[in-house]
Amino acid sequence: MIQLIRATGLCAALLLSSGVMAQRDAAAPSPPAVAAKLATRGDIKGVRVYEIRMVRRADVLVVEADIQNTETEDRQVFYRFRWLDGGGMQVGDGESWKQLLVYGQQTKVVKGVAPSSAGADFRLEFNVE
Amino acid sequence: MRLVHGCSLLMLSAMVMLTAGCETNKVSSPVVRFDRQTTNYGDAKAVELVTNEFGSSDLQMIAEKMTGSLLETGIFQGRPTVTISTVKNKTSEYIDTTNVMNSIQTALVKSGKVRFTRSIQEMQAGVDELTRQNQSGLYKQSSTAKVGKMTAAKFSVEGELTSIVKQSATTKDVFYKFTLKLFDVEEGTVEWQDEKEIRKTTKR
Repeated sequence: MIQLIRATGLCAALLLSSGVMAQRDAAAPSPPAVAAKLATRGDIKGVRVYEIRMVRRADVLVVEADIQNTETEDRQVFYRFRWLDGGGMQVGDGESWKQLLVYGQQTKVVKGVAPSSAGADFRLEFNVE
Repeated sequence: MRLVHGCSLLMLSAMVMLTAGCETNKVSSPVVRFDRQTTNYGDAKAVELVTNEFGSSDLQMIAEKMTGSLLETGIFQGRPTVTISTVKNKTSEYIDTTNVMNSIQTALVKSGKVRFTRSIQEMQAGVDELTRQNQSGLYKQSSTAKVGKMTAAKFSVEGELTSIVKQSATTKDVFYKFTLKLFDVEEGTVEWQDEKEIRKTTKR
């Protein structure tokens, strides 16, 4: 009987840990190509950017990023785009920081438009509260 | 035993030297202020959450959204001329809406995609300067700016800011909506329009 209880306990512990692992996996870091465009600060608490799309419209760079909250708790994300020219120099004065509420398990799209045609590259800066 | 004692002395002297080093490295900052004052320059681009009234972050977010939207539409092909018209403040707050339009104008001018002509508010200064150059008799005729050579605006920008405020004992919710329209002056048609919505909620 005791052995049965122990075995059940062990199974439950294994299941729990696998659940935690699965959640950790869901919060896996952003893909390398996306990660190269990110500048994060501190613990990003299960928030990740899993896809970034960029296109040049009317000669200005337009970027969309999918910000995903992999956890159930709502998160406040602070973000901004930093625009760079072909030589890596900053274009413009820098955007203002924006606060974004991302509900638990939700994905939100943030969009940025380069301030001029000189914008050839970008970084998405963000931290999570 | 003697070796241990020697090592301890050495470590102690090293610590004293380090501490002394730290103290001597302390330098003053090039500021003038009272000792008790805690004024510092902050981040002008930070999210301002002091109250839920219209603030610097709202102004910046509106300007960035409108500028980005205008630039990506491609309506400014061929660097057309634009003028700023009215910006109505339909909220219950006192808001200097000229500030919002100035930020939008600055960003658009810096983009190099558009040329701005004098607005109605800016026109008198331009007329005064033309009068001074042409009627004061102080300037060489060849160097004066001629009257009747101003370029008229092809487009006119008009904006409107509204708000909806809801308040309970513990919560205050403010919803702002900024609408911007770009009119073709000659045809009177709306060629572009966009909105920026902002929700700010304060809980006690």
